Amino acid sequence: MMLARVADSLYWIGRHLERAEHISRISTVMLNATLDRADLAAQAAQLALAALGDAEPERAVLPVDSARALVLDRENEGSVVTSLASARENARQVRDQITTEVWERLNLLYLRVTDAKAKRAFNVDAPGFLHGVIADLHLVTGAADATMSHGEGWRFMQAGVHIERAKLIAHLLKVRFNQTPAPILDDHLALVCLLRMACALEPYLRVYTADVTARHILEFLLFNEDFPRSIRFSTARIEEHLNHLARGRGGQGAEPARLAGRLNARLAFAVVEDVEATGADVLLTTVDRECSAIDQTLYDTFIAYPLESRLPA
Amino acid sequence: MSGIKATRDTNKRSGRLEGYSLGAAYDEMFSPDGATRPNYQLLRERIRTLSREELADRQQTLERSFLLQGITFTVYGAESATEQIIPTDLFPRIIAAPDWAKIESGLTQRLLALNLFLADIYGAQSILSDGVVPRDLVLGAPSYRRQMQHLFVPHSAYVNVCGSDLIRGEDGDFYVLEDNLRVPSGVSYMLANREASRRTFPGTFRQAGVRGVERYPDLLLATLKSMAGDRRGNPQVVVLTPGVHNSAYYEHAYLARLMGVPLVEGRDLAVHDNRVFMRTTDGVRPVDVIYRRVDDDFVDPLIFRRDSSLGVAGLFNAYRSGHVAICNAPGTGIADDKAVYAYVPAIIRYYLGEDTILPNVETFLCREPTQLDHVLANLDKFVVKAVGASGGYGMLVGPHASAEERAEFALALKADPENYIAQPTIQLSTAPCLVDGRMEPRHVDLRPFILSGEKVVVTPGALTRVALKRGSLVVNSSQGGGSKDTWVLADGDAQLAETTL
Repeated sequence: MMLARVADSLYWIGRHLERAEHISRISTVMLNATLDRADLAAQAAQLALAALGDAEPERAVLPVDSARALVLDRENEGSVVTSLASARENARQVRDQITTEVWERLNLLYLRVTDAKAKRAFNVDAPGFLHGVIADLHLVTGAADATMSHGEGWRFMQAGVHIERAKLIAHLLKVRFNQTPAPILDDHLALVCLLRMACALEPYLRVYTADVTARHILEFLLFNEDFPRSIRFSTARIEEHLNHLARGRGGQGAEPARLAGRLNARLAFAVVEDVEATGADVLLTTVDRECSAIDQTLYDTFIAYPLESRLPA
Repeated sequence: MSGIKATRDTNKRSGRLEGYSLGAAYDEMFSPDGATRPNYQLLRERIRTLSREELADRQQTLERSFLLQGITFTVYGAESATEQIIPTDLFPRIIAAPDWAKIESGLTQRLLALNLFLADIYGAQSILSDGVVPRDLVLGAPSYRRQMQHLFVPHSAYVNVCGSDLIRGEDGDFYVLEDNLRVPSGVSYMLANREASRRTFPGTFRQAGVRGVERYPDLLLATLKSMAGDRRGNPQVVVLTPGVHNSAYYEHAYLARLMGVPLVEGRDLAVHDNRVFMRTTDGVRPVDVIYRRVDDDFVDPLIFRRDSSLGVAGLFNAYRSGHVAICNAPGTGIADDKAVYAYVPAIIRYYLGEDTILPNVETFLCREPTQLDHVLANLDKFVVKAVGASGGYGMLVGPHASAEERAEFALALKADPENYIAQPTIQLSTAPCLVDGRMEPRHVDLRPFILSGEKVVVTPGALTRVALKRGSLVVNSSQGGGSKDTWVLADGDAQLAETTL
C-alpha cells in the first residue's frame, strides 16, 4: 500500500532513467561511427535518428550536432538532460520513498549534466562524457536494486523501466525490420550498429558467434530469455511485476496483469520463422501498442481511479 | 565603534585571530578581554592546528555534502528557477550547560503558558474577562480563528511544534524575540548541520560532550501520535506539504522519511463522511493525524481561503467532529501575534503563577497613548513593526531611516496606533564564522525546537542563523542569511545520564 501519486512518480522515474540510458547509448554509437567513412557515418546516424523517431535525413549529415541536441538540449523533451531532470524532479517529489543512496546518485548525475561545464566536457570528448553518463546511470539503478526494498514501489519503478525498454527496442528493430527498409550501403555494418545500439553485441556473439545475420538479430532481440534488453525479457518482467502488484487486492489490478500476461505469451510462444513470414513490424507494432495499453490501464487502476468506487459505505 | 582586538590572546603563532574585532555585541567565543570562553576552549585549540587551506577544504566539503543531499531552496529568477544551498558555516556555535538549562526551562514554561492561553481564548476566555489581556486585541486580530471556539484539543496542546527565536543581548542574557507557533521550519537544517559538523570536527565533537539531537524525528512522531487521542491503537500519521515548489519542501520530505510516514499533498487526500482518507494504490486509507506544513489559510478552502488548492475541502469539519487531528491546530497564530507577545509575561503569571524565566525583548504597544508618545519622541532609536505584517513589510528601523522616512512613518503610526509595536534596536550576539578564509564575527540568533503533546520536550540543540554580511542583523535565509550547527554541551551528570539511556 502506498500513495497513488508516489507510485506514479516511481513508475516515471523508471521510464525516464531507461530513456536517458537508451539515448545516451544510441548517441555514443552514432558518434563512434563518425570515425568511419563519411557515407557510412551518415548511414549510422540515420539509423540512430530513425530509432528515436527523428526521420529528417538532413540532420544525419551532422552527427555531432545531432548528438549534442539529443543529449544536452533542454528544449528537447526527449533529450538525455530533460529525461534526467524529469527523473530527478519525480524523485524529489517522492524523496521520502527512495533511499538516500539512490537519491544521491541520481542528484549527482543530474548536477553533472546540468553543470555549466557540461557543454564543454561534451565538446572536448563526447564519447567519454556519454560513457560517464551511462556508468552513472548504472550506479543509480544499481543503488536502487541494492538498497531499496523490493516491494510495491520498486515494482512500479521496474514496470516503468521495462515498459519503456520494450517500446524503445521495438522502435529500434522497426528501423531495420519494416516492410520497406531504407536502402542500406553496408548491411553488415548496419547490423553491428543495431546490436551496439541495443547494447547487445557481446552477448549476441556469445550465442551466435561472429555470424551476424538479420534473422539471428531479430531472434535474439525479440525472444532471448536471458538477455536483459530483449523484448521477451522485458515483457516477462512486466508480467512478473504486475502479477505481484495484483496480488491480494481481490480483483483490483487484474486487468493490467492480464494485458501483461497476454503480451508476454505472444513472445513466449512465437518463433522467428513465423515472424519473418508475416513481417516483423506487425509484431513490433503490437508490442508498442500493448505496452501503451498496459501503461494506461496501470494508471487507471492504481493511480487515477474514481474515488467514489473505493470509499467505505 | 571601538573594537577590542583579540590579539592579546596567548596564541601568537597563528595570525588568523588577528583582526577578529570584538564590538559592542556579546561574542559567543571571546570574552571582552579577548580570552576564549571555556565552552569554546576545545574548538579553539583545534582550529589553531588547521591551516587556512585545511579550513577552506573543510568548508568546501561541507557545502558539497549539502548540495549532494539536495538540501536546497529554490530561487526563482527571471528565466528559470535555480536551486541553491543555504550557506552553512564551518564553526559550530557552542552553548554551555547552564545557559541551556535556563533556555530549556524558560521555553517549557512559555509553551505551557501559551497552550493554556490558546485553550482559554478559544474556550472560557477568562483571561479576557479578568482584563489581563485586552479583549479587542485578541478577538479583533485576523489570526484569531472563530471556527476554533469550543473545540476539543487533546492535552490542550494547540501548538505541537514550536520554533521560538531567541537572541543573546549585550548583557549576555537570552531573550525571546518571537514565538513561532504556526508552521515553524528549520529543524531539518538543525539535523543536517549536525550530520555535517560531526564529520568536520569529529575529535572535538566527541571530546566536548555534545548532546544529541538525532531523536527529534521519533519524538516528533510520538508527539503527533499522542494527538490522536484514543481513536485508534496505531494512528496513521501523515505530513501535509504544499508541494515540491515550496521553499521548505526538502524539510517536509526529510521529516516524513525519518518518521517513516507518507508525505501527502492536498490532492492525495479526500474527506468523506467527516473522515479523512488518502488515495493509495490499494484504494483509500483513513488518516488520523495530519502534521500540516501549510498555513491556516490554506488548510480547507471551504472554511478559509476559497482560492486555495493546497488544502482539502471538508478537512476542517472532519477536524471539528474529532475524526482527525491537525498539528499545529489552526488558530495558533493569535498567540505569536506581535501585540500579544508583549503580554506573554502576564500570560505566564496568570496561568502558572510564575515569573518569566526567559524575558521578552522590551516592547512598546503603540495602542497605549503613553507608550505611543514615548515611541514618537524616540523614533530614531526604535524598530517599529506592524502587528499583522511579517517578512519586513510595514517596518521602520529607526536608526537607519532618514528624518523624512521617520516623519512619514510617524504619520502612519498616529493614524493607526493599534497596528504597531516598537522595540529598541538590539545588538545580536556574534559568533566566529569562516569568511574569506578568516575567522570573523557575525551576528547570530538561535531557534530551538520545542515539542508539545502529552508532554513538552525541548530538543537539546537548535538552528543558529547567521547574518553573513558584516554588521548585518538580518538572519533570514531569504536575505542572505546562513546557518551553523549548534552544540549544546552536557554538564558532567547529564552526560552520564544520557549515555546510560
